[in-house]
Amino acid sequence: MKQMKVWLAAAVGAACLSTTAIADVTIEEIVADQASGDDIVSYGLGPRGQRYSPLATLNKGNIKNLFPVWSFSFGGEKQRGQESQPLIKDGVMYVTGSYSRMWAIDIRSGEEIWQYDARLPEGILPCCDVVNRGAAILGDKVYFGTLDAKIVALDAKTGKVVWRKTIGDYEAGYSYTAAPLIVPTEAHGPLIVTGNSGGEFGIVGEVQARNPETGELVWSRPTIEGHMGTLNGAESTMTGKKNESWPGDIWQNGGGAPWLGGTYDPDTKLVFMGTGNPAPWNSHLRPGDNKWTSARIAIDPENGEIAWGFQTTPHDGWDYDGVNEFISFDMEKDGETIKAGASADRNGFFYVLDRTNGEFVSAAPFVQNISWAEGIDENGRPIYVDDNRPGNPVESADGKKGKSIFAVPSFLGGKNWMPMAYSQDTEMFYIPSNEWGMDLWNEPTTYKKGAAFMGAGFTITPIFDDYIGSLKAMDPATGEVRWEYRNKAPLWGGVLTTAGGLVFTGTPEGYLKAFDDETGEELWKFQTGTGIVSSPITWEQDGEQWVAITTGWGGAVPLWGGEVAKFVSYLNQGGSVWAFKIPESLASK
Amino acid sequence: MRAILETLTNHSLKVGLGLVLLMSCVLASQATARPLDDVIESGEITIFVYSDYAPYSYEVDGKPVGIDVEIATELAKALGVELKLLMRGADENLDDDLRVNIWKGDLIHRKVADVMMHVPVDPEVDHRNEFAVIMGGYFQETMAVIFDNNKIPEIKTFGRFVSQQIAVELDTAYDFFLSGSFRGQLLQSIRRGRTFQDAVELYASGEVPALLASRAQTEWVLAQTPDLNSVVVQPPMPGMVRLGWPIGISIKHDSRDLGYELTDVLSEMQHSGKLDAIYTKYGVTYIAPIE
Repeated sequence: MKQMKVWLAAAVGAACLSTTAIADVTIEEIVADQASGDDIVSYGLGPRGQRYSPLATLNKGNIKNLFPVWSFSFGGEKQRGQESQPLIKDGVMYVTGSYSRMWAIDIRSGEEIWQYDARLPEGILPCCDVVNRGAAILGDKVYFGTLDAKIVALDAKTGKVVWRKTIGDYEAGYSYTAAPLIVPTEAHGPLIVTGNSGGEFGIVGEVQARNPETGELVWSRPTIEGHMGTLNGAESTMTGKKNESWPGDIWQNGGGAPWLGGTYDPDTKLVFMGTGNPAPWNSHLRPGDNKWTSARIAIDPENGEIAWGFQTTPHDGWDYDGVNEFISFDMEKDGETIKAGASADRNGFFYVLDRTNGEFVSAAPFVQNISWAEGIDENGRPIYVDDNRPGNPVESADGKKGKSIFAVPSFLGGKNWMPMAYSQDTEMFYIPSNEWGMDLWNEPTTYKKGAAFMGAGFTITPIFDDYIGSLKAMDPATGEVRWEYRNKAPLWGGVLTTAGGLVFTGTPEGYLKAFDDETGEELWKFQTGTGIVSSPITWEQDGEQWVAITTGWGGAVPLWGGEVAKFVSYLNQGGSVWAFKIPESLASK
Repeated sequence: MRAILETLTNHSLKVGLGLVLLMSCVLASQATARPLDDVIESGEITIFVYSDYAPYSYEVDGKPVGIDVEIATELAKALGVELKLLMRGADENLDDDLRVNIWKGDLIHRKVADVMMHVPVDPEVDHRNEFAVIMGGYFQETMAVIFDNNKIPEIKTFGRFVSQQIAVELDTAYDFFLSGSFRGQLLQSIRRGRTFQDAVELYASGEVPALLASRAQTEWVLAQTPDLNSVVVQPPMPGMVRLGWPIGISIKHDSRDLGYELTDVLSEMQHSGKLDAIYTKYGVTYIAPIE
């Protein structure tokens, strides 16, 4: 019955599309996506993930004339968080939604062309939220990952399944929420690259690369030391050295999931992935650096070998994932051009590395009152504050609640999943950050699967009375914050910047906002009716500049609540895409 | 009384048609936890048990079996309704399990059970989970070590495992105890199985000479491995907050009358020796709850 509906929709869609010819997307278009304003064929507006558009039709002077064209509802009861960034090609928008759904929308009319609903099995472990962050496109197919840890290739014209492959076993705790990455290689042609996500303990992070035509696995690269990679169906090499930075057999289930996917730099021809925190949470159970958890790793897409790795939080004890996007850019410093890359980490520090070899260049705090480290030393290693490391629950032998410590940032991070943007004009990064910490204590009465243990309790607490969210303009060369916009609720959406001198981001309060890229002055806002936790895009359509954003409150913040609840508890759920444009007639005013 | 397994198993997943049928079945009975009258009127009761959790609840040839499954069957029989089992894995802690299985449901399908089996009876947990109620203690649980006496002469303390390996199910209270206690001295000796069955296999195959689990689990392993010269012991466990804890049931806060009714049934089963018989069937010594 459902299938019939899809076919019917496809037929209707084909009729609607008769005026638009959809051309196949080439790998060259993906690599050069950032330079072309008339489509968006990659997550991050180009594989480097800079989220910078060269379009300048819409600018500081005329943004007051940006107005909504249509709003498309995802429908159903499956609302929750909408974190997806849409793709644009030949007048069609491809957008994913919560609960592993995807739509193709005719941009001119705002009408649906097709909808795909993944049928999710029962028994998915409830570790993760039900978000999806976007699709990938190549040739005549669109790709996205589903909550049951599958990757699906759909016919871009009809939404029909071409192939469906397993990234991980959902019954063992694996899931998938990121946007896939498509990269060129000489040996294999284009490859579609995915990370994985999943529950805390018992999983191993892995990066996989597949043939986009067939879905066949070309190589895999576990993120945890001691595990073997594969290439062309055979074992390749081991990641790191077994037991070098892990005790006993914990590495077998060490975590480190690259759950946010990655970026690609056409210049160095490297894939950059961020990796999650180590497992288990209690760091006293796994002395050592626990490589490559809470790290950035550079992978050669030709063979899946690790070119370099850099740990932002070695031996993490605060749940500071290192998954954040690593954005390639060229940095002028002391008269030299450094082939750099930058990442704003969950741990509150903004890192600049040499992207050719992973060497540390600099780090600067981008949130206030960081407590877990005094700073980052000249080698890029944190100067830990030992008293601020959560204790070993088992050592509070009296079984009392024990003393509480307050650590900043909270485990939701100085910055969480939401991607920052880099302007090639101002040469600044625009970081969506949050000012919050966490109280941690030993919790004697905890049970797991019917048995008692000494666990840890926690609650997230804002640092300031009047705001948590903070959008900051960071100068990567000096580590200075040039301007800041404060938002009452925590920011949970991505950022976009344009050659028109604009910085866009959405707020949980429901506003899509535009700021002056040099001063941070708020120039424009629009109330979408539900919270925004996604990444905006802009493109040119029929000679006019458009902006779009998915809306729908959710993600991890409402799941964790704590003291933050009073900042967000009144927010309503939703699920839609809003499209805006500046009409030609108003662009010059 | 036939137990209907609503959860997907590896077997059913492989069968596309089976999947479709199961899905429609789930949608048709999208139940919220209900008071006694509603349960009786509907003619069926949904009871949660953990998956992969021998000897309490697990599958043999795709059929749910185990101590908790048999008790759940008796509870349904006593109410005169059909039993539907909701068999799912454990979340990070009991509070999460109560949320997912009793009062809020899972994120994807929003499914909850009327009753959850194998819930430790602890007033603190009860107080901090306002939408769930814990009652009906039916068993006393504790930790124990099973070891092969042909390989290890005796175990007086966990100091033995500085030099000897010990198997444990990954990411359980038993794993946390071994990993976190004794200043990390046992970290090199722990062999983790991803499931309890994997940990048992490490022991049963002779690869690892000991296993830490609940006492009921170790006694069940003892019964399963007649070829080994197994001994179950309880060495001192410094750092354990609770050396034993009662196991009961949980229901949603607006279904207390259902909980009271089932508590009476469990109490009757305890006094009539029915509980003892069920535990004995699985090789486990029945110990009444100490509350």
